[in-house]
Amino acid sequence: MRAHLIRILAAALLVSLLAAACGTPAPPPPEATTPPEATTPPEATTPPEPPPGGPSGSIVIVIGNDPSTLDPQYADDGNEHKINDNVYEHLLTREPATGEILPELAESWEQIDDTTWRFYLQEGIQFHNGEPFNAEAVKFSAERIIDPEFNSEQISFVASITGAEVIDEYTVDIITGEGPDPTLPARMTWLKIVPPVYTAEDPDRFAQAPVGTGPYKFVEWVRGSHVTLEANEDYWGGAPDIQEVTWRPIEEAATRLAALQAGEVDLVTDLIPEYLPQVEKSVAVPGLEFSWIRINTNIEPLSDVRVRQALNYAVDKDALVDALYGGYAVKAEGQILTPGHFGYNPDVEAYPYDPEMAQDLLEEAGATGATLELIGESGRWLKDKELTEAIAAQLEAAGLNIDINIVEWSDWLDLLFAGAEAAPNLQYSSHDNVLLDADRTLSALFTTDGSQSAYSNPRVDELVLNARTETDAELREQMYHEAVQIIHDEAACIFTVNLDNIYGLSPNLEFSPRLDGRLFVKDMILND
Amino acid sequence: MITISAYFIRRLLQSILVIVGVSVVVFVITRAIGDPARLSLPLEATDEQVEAYAQRMGFRDPLVVQFWNWAKDALRGDFGDSLWQREPALGLVLERMPATLQLCFTAIVLAVAASIPLGILAALRPRSWLDKITTSFSLIGVCIPDFWLGLMLILLLAVYFRLFFTSGYGTPRHLVLPAITLAARPWGRITQIVRTSMMDEMHRTYMMTARAKGLTEQKVIVSHALKNASIPIVTLAAWELTRMLAGYTIVVETVFAWPGFGLLAMQAIEERDLTLIQADVFVVALIVVAMNIAIDFVYAAIDPRVRLE
Repeated sequence: MRAHLIRILAAALLVSLLAAACGTPAPPPPEATTPPEATTPPEATTPPEPPPGGPSGSIVIVIGNDPSTLDPQYADDGNEHKINDNVYEHLLTREPATGEILPELAESWEQIDDTTWRFYLQEGIQFHNGEPFNAEAVKFSAERIIDPEFNSEQISFVASITGAEVIDEYTVDIITGEGPDPTLPARMTWLKIVPPVYTAEDPDRFAQAPVGTGPYKFVEWVRGSHVTLEANEDYWGGAPDIQEVTWRPIEEAATRLAALQAGEVDLVTDLIPEYLPQVEKSVAVPGLEFSWIRINTNIEPLSDVRVRQALNYAVDKDALVDALYGGYAVKAEGQILTPGHFGYNPDVEAYPYDPEMAQDLLEEAGATGATLELIGESGRWLKDKELTEAIAAQLEAAGLNIDINIVEWSDWLDLLFAGAEAAPNLQYSSHDNVLLDADRTLSALFTTDGSQSAYSNPRVDELVLNARTETDAELREQMYHEAVQIIHDEAACIFTVNLDNIYGLSPNLEFSPRLDGRLFVKDMILND
Repeated sequence: MITISAYFIRRLLQSILVIVGVSVVVFVITRAIGDPARLSLPLEATDEQVEAYAQRMGFRDPLVVQFWNWAKDALRGDFGDSLWQREPALGLVLERMPATLQLCFTAIVLAVAASIPLGILAALRPRSWLDKITTSFSLIGVCIPDFWLGLMLILLLAVYFRLFFTSGYGTPRHLVLPAITLAARPWGRITQIVRTSMMDEMHRTYMMTARAKGLTEQKVIVSHALKNASIPIVTLAAWELTRMLAGYTIVVETVFAWPGFGLLAMQAIEERDLTLIQADVFVVALIVVAMNIAIDFVYAAIDPRVRLE
């Protein structure tokens, strides 16, 4: 999520001024104290105008930017995923609210040995161009995305897969040759199945005109302007309700809001909290994005666990949620995982806000008055700079000298990946884990070799490594629970907040946001 | 004719120098702001992946070698593939050209058409209420920030009255608001220059002659005063058009989600797409240089005293 804060704030101010001046009916702001699980739509005072021009049963969805490509297997790009989630399908999918793994293109699946997972496919499904969906298509899709020549940015989502084998027309084995991978089913909710003949024929055409098995068919992509999809009447799951979907990139936050208010668009993603009072209808659910402050645990005085705990006690998470995010966030419960992630430890809770405890701990450790550098950046994530500054102020209140330094994105990246030795004392960062499995988060952020880690604990390393190949789900979950507990107790980072996904809707569109943030148009309903 | 072709060759050489200079500067800057490989890969990419990507893209070669490789291909019209959209960068830029040209030409026509009559009327009656209003409004037009004006127009005319669209591209209803927003500044400046140059001309003695030989006041103003006042007006209008094409559209195109060069430049910078930034700047530089040459010819056509030497 990107936000150009100065512009947005200025724009927000102007928008609200003008809205007030024009007497636009603005619903009352949500009360800050109640967590906005799902904001109920206030009653519309003016009848909604249908978007001009389009046929009935069509909707317009605003995304942040043009997709980088429409090849579903190449880019790590949220704009591309949002569109292609409607064109392509996966062998498995997730229950929208709980994240439980369910069958999609596969009817059922089983693990037949440590490194082999067998999938039994649905029969009689066709790609939009008439190519049959079968074991061959699955094998092709799996092997395409892991091909080093292809060099997919999505490789980390499917990294354990080493190959696939066709057993018969509708049975296929996915092989994780380098060891057991208990997260394979989660990976299969990510891997999109592509048509082998069409894909191989002309890769350039494939990247611009996608063909999948999904409920929507590709119509056109005018770069910078829009992508249009139409309902697939022959969809195996039943033709979807909404006939046509147009995806429009609008970068400017104020323009997105205006487009929604003018009735030109039906769904706006990543709305900023300040705008919600002006939107007739919106929904928000906790998303996957966590803000966190990395601590370099290798250097004095941060190598002392008491100092790190003091940092956590000193931060008032509830105040951050209310003041910065208008209630549209939840505090992180002492871990960078949501309850929907496999490995979430329900017994771990956030450090309470306790400035006295923080001062005492610092005193005890002899760190009162120590100077720490805090690196932040600006504009990449919602309120990133503000959060960094607010935390700096709270840490100063606890008796530290915080030397805050907001740096340019490329410098911020260099510092983040500088390695544990060269890491700054404290660094703001943001993390999301769409695979909904603890491995990705714990490996990258808290193991000794983790790409963004500045923390090292042999027991955590051991647990994360063993859990990665542990096929007994219960044992595996226990391992993560223990690792999460240690990371929390040792205060390996400053835990802050988990941001909501906020969507603005036109009054006649019904949509329940999902835990994983995906936008399945087939699950939306358009009322007349 | 000999002088014109000599002039043309000299201008052409100068232009090539400008374009090469711009290309070098952009090339160096885009590679100096950080590791281009790390910047264009996702956060999760490992060091090995970054290194492999950097090697493949040639980001570890000396800058001079990198520039030479780029320039060699660029001369053949190959500006490399966009790192972001993985399509030939030049094609992506040219695809956006019609949208930007449509927006800029509409804006400049609006600005000129609205400023000439107003400027003349204000010049004819200095210090009248019309003159005062024109002067004040033209000053506002010059000073008003374009993103603010754009958002205000959107809120008033697209959200509240729903006369036009808030954003997007395609029909005249999409074009009106961004064109007005973009026209505001040039309109203000041109109005002021029309007013001052007309006031200068009105006091010249040839005006007395023109009136003395019995021409109507209308004819005196349009065919004598305005014609003589037109050099600074054309200069300014052309300069404004060049400025629009050279980047003033970035803000307007971003606010209105107008898919032209400016928005593309914005996207390319956000995505740290070096090749696309490079191609975008190259095409814009080419347009600016061509415009400047064209303007010289227009001068010569308007004023016979101007010689292209």
